[in-house]
Amino acid sequence: MNALRIFLTKLATHPLALLLLFVVVFFGAPYLRGATLQILSFALVSILFTQSINILTGMAGQISLGHAAFFGIGAYGSAIIAKTFGLNLFLTIPVAAVVSSLIAYLLSYPAGRVKEVYLAMMTLGFGQIFLEVAREWTDLTGGVMGLSGVPSAGLGTLIILGHKFSTIDYFRVLLLITACSMIFIRNFSQSRLGRSLFVMHYSELAAGSVGIARRQTKQLAYALSGLLAGISGGFYAHLVGYLGPESFAISRSIEVLVVAIVGGLWSSAGQVISAIFFTFLPEQLQLFAEYQFIAYGLILTFTLILFKQGIGGLLFLPPRFIRQTWLTSAQRQSQAVATNSKTSEPLFLKIQAASADIKVQAITMRFGGLVALNSVSLDIQAGHITALVGPNGSGKSTLVNIIAGVFPPSAGQVFLQGADVTAQADVEMAKKGVVRTFQDPRLVPHFTVRENILLGAHAKMHYTWLEAGLSMPRVHQQEAQALEQCNEILQLLDIEAVADQAVESLPYGYRRMTELGRALLARPKIILLDEPAAGLSDVEMSRLAEILVKLKHLGITVLLIEHHMDFLTGLVDEVVVLDSGSIIFKGDMLGMRQDPAVIAAYLGDDEVQHA
Amino acid sequence: MDFFLSLVIAGACVGSVYALVAVGLNLTFWTTKTLNFGQGAVMMLCAISTALLTAQGISNGVGIIAGIAIVALVGVIVERIAVRPALKTAGSMGWVIATLGFGILLQGITSKFFGSQAIPFPEVLFTVQDVIDIGGQNISLQYVSIFVVSILIIVVLEGLTRYTVLGTAIRGTAQDMELAIVQGLPVNLIVSGSFVLSSIMAGIAGILTAQISGTVDPAFGFELVLMGFVAAVLGGMGSSAGALVGGIIVGIIGKLVGGYISTAAEHGIAFALLIMMLALRPEGFFGRAEVSKA
Repeated sequence: MNALRIFLTKLATHPLALLLLFVVVFFGAPYLRGATLQILSFALVSILFTQSINILTGMAGQISLGHAAFFGIGAYGSAIIAKTFGLNLFLTIPVAAVVSSLIAYLLSYPAGRVKEVYLAMMTLGFGQIFLEVAREWTDLTGGVMGLSGVPSAGLGTLIILGHKFSTIDYFRVLLLITACSMIFIRNFSQSRLGRSLFVMHYSELAAGSVGIARRQTKQLAYALSGLLAGISGGFYAHLVGYLGPESFAISRSIEVLVVAIVGGLWSSAGQVISAIFFTFLPEQLQLFAEYQFIAYGLILTFTLILFKQGIGGLLFLPPRFIRQTWLTSAQRQSQAVATNSKTSEPLFLKIQAASADIKVQAITMRFGGLVALNSVSLDIQAGHITALVGPNGSGKSTLVNIIAGVFPPSAGQVFLQGADVTAQADVEMAKKGVVRTFQDPRLVPHFTVRENILLGAHAKMHYTWLEAGLSMPRVHQQEAQALEQCNEILQLLDIEAVADQAVESLPYGYRRMTELGRALLARPKIILLDEPAAGLSDVEMSRLAEILVKLKHLGITVLLIEHHMDFLTGLVDEVVVLDSGSIIFKGDMLGMRQDPAVIAAYLGDDEVQHA
Repeated sequence: MDFFLSLVIAGACVGSVYALVAVGLNLTFWTTKTLNFGQGAVMMLCAISTALLTAQGISNGVGIIAGIAIVALVGVIVERIAVRPALKTAGSMGWVIATLGFGILLQGITSKFFGSQAIPFPEVLFTVQDVIDIGGQNISLQYVSIFVVSILIIVVLEGLTRYTVLGTAIRGTAQDMELAIVQGLPVNLIVSGSFVLSSIMAGIAGILTAQISGTVDPAFGFELVLMGFVAAVLGGMGSSAGALVGGIIVGIIGKLVGGYISTAAEHGIAFALLIMMLALRPEGFFGRAEVSKA
């Protein structure tokens, strides 16, 4: 089975094989029966529409139960412009698609604020609003009677530059557009922006921690998704020649979800097969048409629970999110470096100017009635390793969250290198060089170690979504540089051996290291580590200590929360003890172990005897 | 003015059914933070079962009880096959899609075996001709009865959750499921029960609405459950008082817009309200913003 998967994956990603397929279909079109050509055209429309869901729901994890609306905007938009102004579809479809994209972009504002159930409801409501408008705005859409006389190849009414477009011409244009879109999406998914959508899916907090702006990322997902849905809707309109509002009801939104889920969310190849399957099946098999809704119901109820990977997971290897050629050259480089030297430090991390310090002044944090931090003031020395210790619930994580900008403090101020950064969002703090890890590693589970680490370089790369999709030279240049730096980090963390394995298949220690790697690739001036040694073996722990010392040598300020006293001894420059939201001790490790207040609150008598 | 008043009264009556649906949605939201996106199909199933049974000559009362029993069973099944496994494996997208799918399945089966034609619904409470005089307005007794029944059910339910052991157990589960399990509460049973109750609420709402519309078809319930969502969100998910106020507001605004502007915009305005509310104040009028430690 796996051999088959490898073979099919090679086939589906091989440029020559795909080109051959394209050429055969393109030039074979005239030999097909008219009805078959028609169904194939519908399949292409469905593929495009499914890719729209792939971006929004598959990649970015934003569920949409009203996607038919964007499809409808594209269809009505193109049809109305074509009918009113007599323009051809090479103008009307792009215009309609841009309108659809714009509306999706606008929807992202309210939608970006809500999640899960609320998002599902909101999109459902949006779909219904569109449907009501299409039904009732009779002057524009023809209302429930529908809009007929849309220029269509099938009816022989599609004339472009004096040339009458046949169904074959139409099919070829559609095929070309679909192929280009697929390449665009492939390129996009293997770029910093494509990868950033997946982080939004799994942890918005992790996204913010490495400077991935949440709102812009969602806006991008909505806008691109709306664009593709608009294009597919436009082609649908000129394929059928008649538009009725019921074609854009909830059932179409559900149908596209069914196709995407059966194909496998985020597997474009699986979705292509699924789209073709679901277009042909009702046409070929009367029985299926009859039981269509029962089948859809069953599929939706059980697929995500029992068969999450869909057709894509069954037939193909999981898609990767780094361009293969760039990955291969990075792997080759890493081997070359490994044979040369083993001790080098990743010099790109070196802080050029003076190290950064953080001053926390009279920070108070209340959650409802609970005071988590009570007027805490603290200087974190530049270039030092500072440990934050204390019993559970003493406010350590809260303090880290406030410094990292996860939430603003109830009162008090935070200064970074003397500048007031109080209540700045985590994305901003990450861009200023304050990067953190989490108590439980927050990674994209189906990404490899390398792909996860590369997320850290997101804000250091600057190419746009258009450049990514078109694979412009700047993309290659920046990705290659990030991959090179990623190699250095893999070596520093000593996890090169597992670099290209999915993190969900790896033991806990590797996940911790991966998250540390992601934070490092964001090039921190100050790194905040929330219990980095928790769950590590002794060997891993001493490795971690070595790494932290190296970071210190590179000029990076380290603040870590930890419970392992032995781990901290000899490593840290200063230790700060929190209890019930107040600082009860500041100083070195030895002083802390002898401090009566710390012993009473945290260490207990046992620890004293050991010390 | 008379026209205005009659719209308001009709709106409040319809809105009380939205509130009933919303309270049903709240029940499962409390216990599992999930909703049955196929709730519309549950309403449809209850109303159609009742209509089909009474058409066979069975008395209205028995027909209604049988219809409600059927959807109560559906509640158990939905929780077992679409919610519980999805919560374990597939995250939030899992249960949204699974419950939606189950609703489509129910709808598909119904239209396959009973046809997609509208079926006449019996007059259970009063007839269309029965009217009552409220403030000089002739109001249909059917409208008044659905208002009274809905409010009554919501009040009883609220009383049960507030003042009985069962209610305390449900609220405990809602607060902290793990703690409830540790404390030995039969959490699975409570969760199951919340889906059963939720389905029953939906079923009753279905019967009350079918009463007014006079017919039911397999697509029945979809718009109604959307209105229930709007009501629940407006009031704040999880709040019974909020659901009631939210439902009545949605009902009245809908009728006013329908009466003065265009009946076509009646539902559209509700969805616009939904999107606005979610964007501006997702916790609703009565809900409190969730405070969470990251």
